[in-house]
Amino acid sequence: MRGVFQKMPLYWGLAILLFLLLFPFVNDSRSTLILLAQIFIFAIFAMSFDILLGYTGIVSFGHCMFFGIGAYSTALIFNKLDATLPNFLIGLVIGILLSALVSYIIGLLSLRLKSHFYAMLTLAVSQLFLVLAEKWRGLTQGGDGFTFSVPDVFKDRTSFYYITLFSVAAVFILLKLFTESSTGKVLKAISQNEYRAEALGYKTLHYKLIASVTAGVAASFSGALYAVSLRFINTNVFSIEVTLDALLMTMIGGLGTLAGAIAGAGIIEFLRHYLSELAMTYPIFERWTIILGFLYIVVLLGFPSGLAGVMKKFTLKKGRKEKKKREMERAA
Amino acid sequence: MEVFINLLVNGVSTGLLIFLLAAGLTLIFGLMSVLNFAHGGLFVWGAFSGAWIFKETNSFLLAIVGAVAVGMVLGWVLERFLIRPVYGNHVRQLLITLGGMLVLSESIKIFWGPNPIRVNLPAWLEGSYQFDGIIIIKYRVFVIVVGLLLYLALWLLLSRTQIGLMIRAGVLDKEMVQALGINVKGLFTFVFLLGAGLAALGGALLAPYSGVVFAEMGMQYAILAFIVVIIGGMGSLQGSALASLIVGVAGAFMAYYMPDLSLALNMLLLAIVLLVKPTGLLGEKGSAV
Repeated sequence: MRGVFQKMPLYWGLAILLFLLLFPFVNDSRSTLILLAQIFIFAIFAMSFDILLGYTGIVSFGHCMFFGIGAYSTALIFNKLDATLPNFLIGLVIGILLSALVSYIIGLLSLRLKSHFYAMLTLAVSQLFLVLAEKWRGLTQGGDGFTFSVPDVFKDRTSFYYITLFSVAAVFILLKLFTESSTGKVLKAISQNEYRAEALGYKTLHYKLIASVTAGVAASFSGALYAVSLRFINTNVFSIEVTLDALLMTMIGGLGTLAGAIAGAGIIEFLRHYLSELAMTYPIFERWTIILGFLYIVVLLGFPSGLAGVMKKFTLKKGRKEKKKREMERAA
Repeated sequence: MEVFINLLVNGVSTGLLIFLLAAGLTLIFGLMSVLNFAHGGLFVWGAFSGAWIFKETNSFLLAIVGAVAVGMVLGWVLERFLIRPVYGNHVRQLLITLGGMLVLSESIKIFWGPNPIRVNLPAWLEGSYQFDGIIIIKYRVFVIVVGLLLYLALWLLLSRTQIGLMIRAGVLDKEMVQALGINVKGLFTFVFLLGAGLAALGGALLAPYSGVVFAEMGMQYAILAFIVVIIGGMGSLQGSALASLIVGVAGAFMAYYMPDLSLALNMLLLAIVLLVKPTGLLGEKGSAV
């Protein structure tokens, strides 16, 4: 536990958590709470992607499939059965088991491939899921999608806000523990130099599989929350844009730092919210995806370590300056 | 028999269109180990600009030339500003070319709106040939002829010219070619522009073929091209040609007999090839594993 909560970030984290806990008492505007819940859901999704890309160095372009599997499992359960909490848990567990199974099989078959082949293969498989969801109309009603009712606890915006807030906190702590565990250390080693990790005697495929299944399960969870928040689902959850969202959020926030993924989710969702509001007055902003695309490219080229990297550099510089100042004082 | 020949013609013509996309991908990968996820973006730009020029000028030839020019300009921008800064870093290459793909296909919607656009056939390619009750659509024959000519031209370029020799040598051993004093980066730019032009040409030829163009088309065909490139073997032009024909023909037959399973079939082909022969059918360079 000691490694998880180094002092400074702990205080910051607790302060932010406290602020978010009290937030609904200060401002209970519906749209703000909905936006924040959306941010929390995507923060979970972005963190799951960070486990793959940031901690293990696996480039997956098909992460939307786990999001979609989780979303569809929950949505279909609520569509077929009553809207009760136990049914939600059943849907959640089904989604998680399915995601674990799919990520295990795909990983087993393809994680031994080189990075570009893996990226390509995951992209193709996720498109296969999209086609499946579109063609299996009897179950999914294709691109039209369907609505469903959810338990009251999810309908109330304030309680849903707290559910998503606790979920994001819980997932953050669990994933942080995971990355600080000995397995997490091996993953970090793989991301830095896979051959060397293998030469040290670690079965890298085995560890990459663990990372892939963990990420799949977390993504499935966020997908289930997403479906519940909309009370509607269509094949968009399997679209490449969902994967791009995860990429954007983790890249902008900073790779390999779970907190960065949360910050990235916040930035992207806020931007999207305000840009789509701007679009009502200035039609040019209707195509805000392209703005996000340019932002993504600029971040990749200019700030490859994202917001977290920029902040780290800043604090390092400050620390160095202070040290210098102290030395000067001592000399004087 | 009729159905068989029709499906064969369809399959071969689709296969050759995919080949135009795959040829650039495989050469770019072979030479610089860059997997260009933005390739589908060039394809869809070719399709839209070709369709637009054709509508404005009513000249199909001009449309094709214009589409290729647009593809090459975009390819140059892509190579110069996105790919060159991240040479040698595979992860960042993958990430940035996917970003390029996003921007390319979104900007389509800025220029032409989010809705699909209808494209007509040029008058001199409308209609069909008829032999004993077997009807063959003219435009498909045209696509097959153009595709085969381009394959021949590419093959001649690679096997008979100085620059082709350099490209082949670069695919085999880039460092050695560089050590011999050949500008591999310049060579790569050339190959990239060639690939971009071919992709745009493929898009421009596809537009009247499918009758309708839409922005998401780029990703769909790019995935097909990726599958083809892996099945054929990374860096091998012949392999890509062979795999394109297999995927095209198999796709046409599946689309007729079991329409829902046509994409699944490609994935199955891909899985078999990766498990049995990870270098691809005619792979010359490196294995997928």
